[in-house]
Amino acid sequence: MGMGGPKPNPPPLGFIVPILLLVVIMVIVYYVLKKRKEKRGRAKVRAYEMGVNNIKVDDSNSRASQNIHSTVYETGTNVEDVEIVETPLLAKTSNKDWKKDGVTLKVENLSKNYGNHLAVDNISFEVHKGETIGLVGPNGAGKTTTIKMIAKLLKPTNGRILLRNKHGGLQDINKSSRNLLKFGFLIDIPAFYVKMTAYQVLKYCALLDNYPRDKIDGRIDELLKLFKLYDWKHEKIGTFSKGMTQKLGIIQAIIHDPNIVIMDEPQTGLDPKARIEIRKFIREIQKQGKTIFIASHMLYEISEVCDKIALINHGKIVAFDSIDNLEKSLKTKELNCVLLEPIDSSSLEGVLNKLIEKLEPYLDRELDPEISDIPIKYYPEKKELKLFYDGKEESRGQILKILIKDFESEFTIISYTQPKTSQLERIYSEMITDYEAIKITKPSEQEV
Amino acid sequence: MEKVEHVIENIYFEVKPIAHAFVFELKQQWKKFISFSVLSVLIVFLMSYVMYALEPTSLLPDTQMDFLDSGLTFLSMFILIFAGCFFFSGIICTEYDKKTGYIIFPKINKFKLIMGKYLGNLTLIIGVVAIYYVTLGLFCWYYYGVSIYLPFLSSFAIAIVYVLAVSSFVTLFSSFMKSVNMTIISTIFILFIGFNIADQLVTVFLPEFEPIYSMQYASNLISSILEQPFPDPRFMDIIMRDFTIRTWLTPTFEVGITVLVIYMVTSLLLASIIFKRRQL
Repeated sequence: MGMGGPKPNPPPLGFIVPILLLVVIMVIVYYVLKKRKEKRGRAKVRAYEMGVNNIKVDDSNSRASQNIHSTVYETGTNVEDVEIVETPLLAKTSNKDWKKDGVTLKVENLSKNYGNHLAVDNISFEVHKGETIGLVGPNGAGKTTTIKMIAKLLKPTNGRILLRNKHGGLQDINKSSRNLLKFGFLIDIPAFYVKMTAYQVLKYCALLDNYPRDKIDGRIDELLKLFKLYDWKHEKIGTFSKGMTQKLGIIQAIIHDPNIVIMDEPQTGLDPKARIEIRKFIREIQKQGKTIFIASHMLYEISEVCDKIALINHGKIVAFDSIDNLEKSLKTKELNCVLLEPIDSSSLEGVLNKLIEKLEPYLDRELDPEISDIPIKYYPEKKELKLFYDGKEESRGQILKILIKDFESEFTIISYTQPKTSQLERIYSEMITDYEAIKITKPSEQEV
Repeated sequence: MEKVEHVIENIYFEVKPIAHAFVFELKQQWKKFISFSVLSVLIVFLMSYVMYALEPTSLLPDTQMDFLDSGLTFLSMFILIFAGCFFFSGIICTEYDKKTGYIIFPKINKFKLIMGKYLGNLTLIIGVVAIYYVTLGLFCWYYYGVSIYLPFLSSFAIAIVYVLAVSSFVTLFSSFMKSVNMTIISTIFILFIGFNIADQLVTVFLPEFEPIYSMQYASNLISSILEQPFPDPRFMDIIMRDFTIRTWLTPTFEVGITVLVIYMVTSLLLASIIFKRRQL
């Protein structure tokens, strides 16, 4: 049927011209409007980053705002405009399913090889409910690899990762992920679908995380207000600054009200103000009794919020304890003496011998070789003497007296201080900094 | 009864993330869908109306079949390949290239994610094809004033199978390519030029050999299915001075569909193996 038929006449062309004109005009208008919108977006980001984002959100009728009481937290810093909305960020963790203070996350003999390179070397640790644990180490230490294995983005070469399940037991995540407690992940610098709006992406994340559909909108509003991104709810993520994207990354990690939040470098790439804000948010999550696991190379940021720290280097955990315990166990008293002029190299050996002889009663006799194998170090480039003493107040005074009185002709001290940085920071910085210290194992060399 | 409910509940929980990924993909790609739909309509409009209006001496084809045949050749040659490459090129590699996988993979089984994305893109591309067919059918009705005959619908069904094969082929490339752009370039190159070069070589050196390895050759079925009766013989011999060149016009219905299905299954299988091993 219908294969043939009369030969048709060519159609008229008259009405095509106005149609084409209309199409061209519509395309031009569309692009002009798009460009204007992009320009406005860029200006808005600049304003946001300059801290002049004073747009008030009139959303008094929303469900979320009825439960929100705005307040200004004491930041303890000079940043005056850090305003954090106090809100039930995460529901209190229920204790009914599993033992209080029980192990939430257990890592057993975990290793990961990339070819011949051992990125994570047989590490083991436990994270208890409600704890905030920091995994600290320099770049390439194995932090992100560890987190990726926990997030099941990488398969371990050896070992296993056990997570608490809803029935109270520990479950190997690589065998089954059913019934596990809810986890939220922030891995690396977050990257989103840039053509989508913050609302669309957060809704998608919440749905994938099985958050109740009827509560999603309220939850998104709540968190966007908390992180001061509410005005950006319907803006495309492509217009967001790095700091805003990082905040959105944290929001997606906690959108489904998880029991455990795992974050990798949450403060990377942020300015000091944003870092302070992120610390505040982490404390907020802590207050709700959630378990938090953070990996970072910023020891200060981590030590500010964590109960325990695991120092990781070359894939191995070199220390894992509370900050106080770590500092106690690594206790050594250290003095830095900055000299006006460097010690003359011809007289260096004699000066160092004399230093040992004069200061010997006050130096640390049980110095931890992990910290230093010798009690006096000399850094010619920095014109600095580093002394490890016994920690007594009177010894510190005596050392100063000796250095001034007995070494008057050898050098002049212009600064004599006990470093403010903790031993922990020092050890950590030694791990990541290649000091140009010239070690002297004998008096004939430069370091004593 | 309880067991059945449990099974249904399990299925629901297994399918739910795929549905979320599907809907999100539709939202993400709708602009691409609009662009390709407009392009499809414009192309049909240009080929079926403007061309004949501008050039009164260029008469319309005598038969409805010839009219549809010319329109569908363009569809299989360009629209389907371009749409397939643009819709599916980023389906896997974008999660790695743009690092969005760090956000999404911990929330959803990555195979379910890709399945949702695949179905989403497939729906959109089938939509584009449907719009093309409808527009072409409307012009056909405008000119010839007769109803669309059954082989036209068969052609639409074959076009969908071809879309499945192309999309799977592009998905395979997306599973190991680093960037979306590279995937687009390489798949367009292979589908447009690679298969054609192979066809030409076979035509010259192995004239008796039917190029059933070629997806492009199989796609000829989209237009040849309209011909009543089906072309026989399915090749055309061009006799030169010293030798004869045999050009294969179309595979049989069974062979064409089988070739496309093999492409689809093999590509998806390989893509899933590569994707499983690929790490962020």
